[in-house]
Amino acid sequence: MLERLPYLAAIALVGIGLAVLVDDEHLVKKVLGLNVFQTGIFLFFVTAAAREGGSAPNVAKAGPYANPLPQVLILTAIVVGVSVTAVALALLVRIHAEYGTLREDAVRAAIEEGRE
Amino acid sequence: MKPYHESPVVTHTVRVVAPFILTFGLFTLLHGTKSVGGGFQGGVIVASVAVLFAFAFGVSQTEATLPGVRIVAFAALGLLSFAAVAGAALVVGRPFLDTTAFGVSPVYPVEVIEVAIGVTVASVVTGLFFELARADDA
Amino acid sequence: MIDPALLVAVPLAGSALPAVASRLRPRTGWPLALGVLLVQSVLAVWVAAAALAGDPVRTQVAGIPAPFGIGLLVDALSAPFVVLIALAALAVLAYTRRGGPRSGAFYSLYLLLIGGLTGVCVTTDVFNLYVFLEISGLASYGMVAQADRGAAALAALKYLLVGTVGASLYLFGVGYAYVATGTLDMAALRAALPAASDPLALAALGLMVLGLSVKVALFPLHTWKPDAYEAAPPGVAALLAALASTVAAYALGRLLLAVFPGVAEAVVDAALLGLAAASIVAGSLLAYRSESVARLLAYSSLAQFGIVVVGFVVATPTAIAGSVVHLIGHAVMKAGSFLVVGLLARTHDVRTVAEYAGLARRSPYVSAGFAVLALGLIGIPPTVGFAGKFYIALGAIEAGSWTAAALVLASTLFGLVYLGRVLERMYVGEGDTHAGPTGAASPGMYAAVAVAVLATLALGGVGPLVEGWLAPVLDGLDAGLAMGVVP
Repeated sequence: MLERLPYLAAIALVGIGLAVLVDDEHLVKKVLGLNVFQTGIFLFFVTAAAREGGSAPNVAKAGPYANPLPQVLILTAIVVGVSVTAVALALLVRIHAEYGTLREDAVRAAIEEGRE
Repeated sequence: MKPYHESPVVTHTVRVVAPFILTFGLFTLLHGTKSVGGGFQGGVIVASVAVLFAFAFGVSQTEATLPGVRIVAFAALGLLSFAAVAGAALVVGRPFLDTTAFGVSPVYPVEVIEVAIGVTVASVVTGLFFELARADDA
Repeated sequence: MIDPALLVAVPLAGSALPAVASRLRPRTGWPLALGVLLVQSVLAVWVAAAALAGDPVRTQVAGIPAPFGIGLLVDALSAPFVVLIALAALAVLAYTRRGGPRSGAFYSLYLLLIGGLTGVCVTTDVFNLYVFLEISGLASYGMVAQADRGAAALAALKYLLVGTVGASLYLFGVGYAYVATGTLDMAALRAALPAASDPLALAALGLMVLGLSVKVALFPLHTWKPDAYEAAPPGVAALLAALASTVAAYALGRLLLAVFPGVAEAVVDAALLGLAAASIVAGSLLAYRSESVARLLAYSSLAQFGIVVVGFVVATPTAIAGSVVHLIGHAVMKAGSFLVVGLLARTHDVRTVAEYAGLARRSPYVSAGFAVLALGLIGIPPTVGFAGKFYIALGAIEAGSWTAAALVLASTLFGLVYLGRVLERMYVGEGDTHAGPTGAASPGMYAAVAVAVLATLALGGVGPLVEGWLAPVLDGLDAGLAMGVVP
């Protein structure tokens, strides 16, 4: 059971992230929720890469070794995630400059007001 | 924010430390093929020098010596160098990005790519820093 | 032979140019983007012609053999999309010279988007597909935010949040697929998945399909779409309407046809058919109820992509050809419609269905063009919209899937109702005669619309051709050969 714990943590992170993303009115928290959600998926990959009693093909020293491929994939995914976060924060800066608030309901109300 | 005062201790320290940081950045950058390191990490270390200078001498003064257009140009230069190395393999009739195509150890083309990545990462991080610092001033 | 990697590398590397050049000299972004896209279009047409005439064009990046390296493949299934992306990008570029945002950064994003979308179409590695999906996604979030209004930033953020969740769910699915089989290569996955443990393969399939459905915007995963398309600058809305969801739908089709046959087909088919039916019904209803023409067109996309998914679920050669034709046709027609909406907003300052009343008298040529595009979207012969739907329906009847055939026919009737409402306003409605033109449009804007209208009519007979191209690929897929598995 203990070695399955990281999988449970991954699923929990995915759930928590999605819940915050959907439920919170504050746009910064939505972006944070997105990050937590993605972290859960990263954890899933890295956990799957761990091999108990694994050995490396070209290194004689004793383990522990992990499958490097998922780790490299997640390195790429983390870079992608950082870029997404950067773009999201840039948009938040612009929204804040325009409406003076980062609560979604308040921003929507301001947009509706502008339309009328 | 409090008005900015140059502190002789800080500026002098930065002057002494900066060359070492740059060297360490380059060391990390070029070590990517053999051990821990590479373009991303080295680039960030190099970019930290620009940040240090901004702390020591003020953001606007540092930015004046490193204007935005040059930063963007360096970022583009890195990207285009990467593409050039990758495309050069096609010229000699090998698949795109084939680093064994040039008759030398693949380490050398990969090092060129690492430097290209480093240049892009360093300039993007520096540019982002200036962009955010300016928003803070306003 | 040309390396397909260039199709992706040219726009990606070229995206560095406009941002730099426009800082040195203003207004150099557009000509540079035009140059890069012209080069890419020539390459795309060349590679696609070679792929359609003979064997699929493939390469392994860096020469690392499959299944370890990343493969790139242009076959009869991806070639039409590669060409569509290149040519649609050129047509919309003609429009943005006067109409669109003009900053250098915008044209850098433009090229980034084209590179990313082409990458999704040519890659045979499921993780690589995720990376390209995110590259094109990031570019499109930035492009939506290029509009001046603050509402655009909020719409772009919503698009970003939902789109990233979609892409991440896809990545989650890739993780399950890797755990189940130990490979990321599409051909190797196809061979290994049926033997893998059921829950893992099913989780991979479910998550990957769910993630791509968000990107395609099937109901109820569509909420980003109307806001983004309405808030974006018209040129961007047209480009995204033509390409973003289309390429995601292509990826969905590629996965269903080339990776996942043999994994829980009955369950998946039923679920997808349900999703498609919901999209068709809800999309049509939402389109009927929207006041803004841009929103109406965005909701109409839900219904249209529902039909495409029906074709992929039915999966007879005829139906698949129909889906491909309908994807291409929908891209052309929807992009053309968004260009018309942008054009009319500029020349007559009209945006809602009510404001369109009597437009046919005030702007007869543009209105006629819009009418052709709308009739195409409904599916009236001899347009490409009819060809696609006809083949999907034919395939469904061949396969004896009466639900699928009924869905296609119902969508046509729904389309007649919600698009007929706009046409009725334009041609019969009494327009309030508020003054003539309020702004001028450039020849490039009219030319882009004209190209879309002509393509809508000209592509009407393309069905048999596409079916012929696809036949060997689909046979190969069934035999497990086409993706590079050595027998």
